[in-house]
Amino acid sequence: MSQYVLRRLALVLPVLLGVSIVVFAMVRMIPGDPARIMAGEAATQETVEMIRERLGLNKHPVVQYFIFLENLVRGDLGRSTMSRLPVLDEIKHTLPSTIQLAVAAMAIATLIGVTTGVLSAVKPNSWVDAVSMFIALVGVSMPVFWLGLMLMLLFSLHLGWFPTAGSGTWRHLVLPSITLGLSSAAIIARMTRSSMLEVLRQDYVRTARAKGVPERLVVLRHALRNALIPVVTVTGLQFGNLLGGAVLTETVFAWPGIGRLMVGAITARDYPVVQGSVLTVALGFILINLVVDVLYAYIDPTIRYD
Amino acid sequence: MKLVRRVLQLAAIFGVAVALLAGPALAQGRLIVASGTDAVTLDAHYITDSPSATVAEHVIEPLFELTPDGRIVPNLAESYEVSADGLTWTLHLRKGVRFHDGTPFNAEAVKYNLERILDPANAVTFRFLISPITTVEVVDEYTVRFTTDAPFAPILAHLTHSAIGMQSPAAIERYGEDYARNPVGTGPFKFKEWQRQDYILLERNPDYWGGTPDIDEIMFRVVPEDGARMLMVQTGEAHVAVRVPPDMVSLLERDPNVNVVFTPSVRTIYIGFNTYQRADQPKNPFTDVRVRQAFNYAVDNEAINEFILGGMGRPSDAPIAPGIFGYTAIGGYEYNPAKARQLLAEAGYPNGFRVQFYSPAGRYLKDLEVAEAVQAQLSEVGIQAEIVTLEWAAYLAATNMPADENVVPMFMLGWGTVTGDADYGLYPLFHSSQWVPTGSNRAFYSNPRVDELLDLARTTPDDAVRLAAYQEAMEIIMADAPWLFLHAETQITAIRSNVEGVIIHPTERVIAGGARIR
Repeated sequence: MSQYVLRRLALVLPVLLGVSIVVFAMVRMIPGDPARIMAGEAATQETVEMIRERLGLNKHPVVQYFIFLENLVRGDLGRSTMSRLPVLDEIKHTLPSTIQLAVAAMAIATLIGVTTGVLSAVKPNSWVDAVSMFIALVGVSMPVFWLGLMLMLLFSLHLGWFPTAGSGTWRHLVLPSITLGLSSAAIIARMTRSSMLEVLRQDYVRTARAKGVPERLVVLRHALRNALIPVVTVTGLQFGNLLGGAVLTETVFAWPGIGRLMVGAITARDYPVVQGSVLTVALGFILINLVVDVLYAYIDPTIRYD
Repeated sequence: MKLVRRVLQLAAIFGVAVALLAGPALAQGRLIVASGTDAVTLDAHYITDSPSATVAEHVIEPLFELTPDGRIVPNLAESYEVSADGLTWTLHLRKGVRFHDGTPFNAEAVKYNLERILDPANAVTFRFLISPITTVEVVDEYTVRFTTDAPFAPILAHLTHSAIGMQSPAAIERYGEDYARNPVGTGPFKFKEWQRQDYILLERNPDYWGGTPDIDEIMFRVVPEDGARMLMVQTGEAHVAVRVPPDMVSLLERDPNVNVVFTPSVRTIYIGFNTYQRADQPKNPFTDVRVRQAFNYAVDNEAINEFILGGMGRPSDAPIAPGIFGYTAIGGYEYNPAKARQLLAEAGYPNGFRVQFYSPAGRYLKDLEVAEAVQAQLSEVGIQAEIVTLEWAAYLAATNMPADENVVPMFMLGWGTVTGDADYGLYPLFHSSQWVPTGSNRAFYSNPRVDELLDLARTTPDDAVRLAAYQEAMEIIMADAPWLFLHAETQITAIRSNVEGVIIHPTERVIAGGARIR
């Protein structure tokens, strides 16, 4: 097992290298000049040229890439072309907020998703099933910005329970994590339901019932544990998505996360910030996938990685 | 059951982690301004956007101040003299002022700041505002003198610009690159904290030369979503919310706790025509003044203002907006589609033509909706305009190409004359030396008489001569129609009714130094 983990960790570097090349090339292929954006609409050509030289943008892209790589090895992601702050600081300020939001959203999603999934599967085609799956469908298809604003209207303006937007206290976290978690909850619910339905038809479940095991234990111990593998996969993928893809929720709730940092940097053609934040999110994604794979073995002891 | 226990354990760990990561609650005596965008930098000399300028102006002050009604009044400079030839300016500075870090504000500090801006190696965008200055000398502790290579009439207006703010030389040297998030000025508020994408916190400067502010702190909160920003001012989580969408005005006006304030902006929105005939391209219809005039007659500015902007614009009657020195109402084009069709026919386009029309989406008030209205009205006179929207950086790059590579036939843009002087509103946009990428003349407009007048108005110190020159230049520009003149924007701001003294400046800044919370 530990050997497997080490082998997987050794693969992280080449993957990150690949990501760095793709991001580096892509951000330079989209039209738009970082020096011009930085200097503003009113700047003279002379100023723009001076900034371009300062940022090293008039060097050949390949040379630029190796300079970037050399600094990266030394743990230096460069400075934002817009704010002139070190990219590492920008990430250090935004990443914890995103992780906080993603963890809270995932907790909500798993709790709601697994519960409704199991309830639906236990009584398929009942009204419980119909209602849960309808809510799941709505959850998947509801746009985040609309749901977010509706929650704000109800819980902030009318009831006054939670702050509208921003960050700072645990109460600020409630509405964004529900908004972000709900669509994941819907996906997890549907996955849990179909996986459970399949498992509940298995012979060992019939055996368990035949020997008189209480239904509650049949469902929770015999069936759920075996149904969890695909659910864990989906949950892991969802969590990875939340890390990089929470930008809409972050925007609606003014949550200072890395998604907004990344989108802002792309808009401003802030190459160092785009590169740094994409690499960070990619690293997060890789690590989560690894954790998910390790979790398989934990949930299902028949899975071995040697 | 083991599994259930495990899930509960995990949930508990999540809960603790979340609680640990969360921060402390808010304080009293604090004015909260919800703005749509985070500041980019707080190094005043490098600021090119209004959200950054709004924050910085509470901390860093310029030598002169442009009042909301357009007057230039002393600020850190108490008075000035100018030599008879208009080349030498002597400024007498306010005495006993200190920067927030204790560094004295004096002639040395002014010299340091102006030279930092003027050094081409520093690549300061707004260097051109004061680039005619050749030397800066310290006369005594509180007197500074600078000379220009030619008489430069708008210099005082340009010294009011937030990018020419006075910052502590000691702090700039001490922080180096990190000065951008540690600004030190002489203003009514001191910089305290900046959480990127979240908020910027300023605290009262008890030693402010202009008297101690009433409020303890100002917090600028970044709230990008319009709806959330408006809700925050309704719930009282923010005292001020900027950039109210026109369609939310009536909703906010029904709320007794919120006042909606309308302030004209010095930003003019226009559609530029590329008037340049490339040698390698077929005939460009916009080289013909009749075509450009026809477009102006074909578009109903009043209707656009009423139905799309909800009356929140001001149809243009000159290339610049009222409140700017040099503005005179020249008179816009009336809505006259018959005349437009006739002009097009005279120009050889009786059946109109097809054209690509570039528009930003989300940069200006209802920009894309305005573009669609223009498109519909143009089709009435036979012009088939195809709207092209690009994301902002790509948009700027496309409209900024040199004449012989430029492929943008017509494009919507805005220009804020933030110095309050017509020179900045006309020279970079209409002088033939200012074609992009050198300046901001994206229409490639060129008229020798306009050049002459703009040069004259820039170099003569006589206000009457300047006003006359600007009036004549604007009359020619309106007739030549290198633009389709649209409207000036109105800023809409929501302010809690228990807050007094917040000033919304026509240069698109919120000034909260004199605010009081009842």
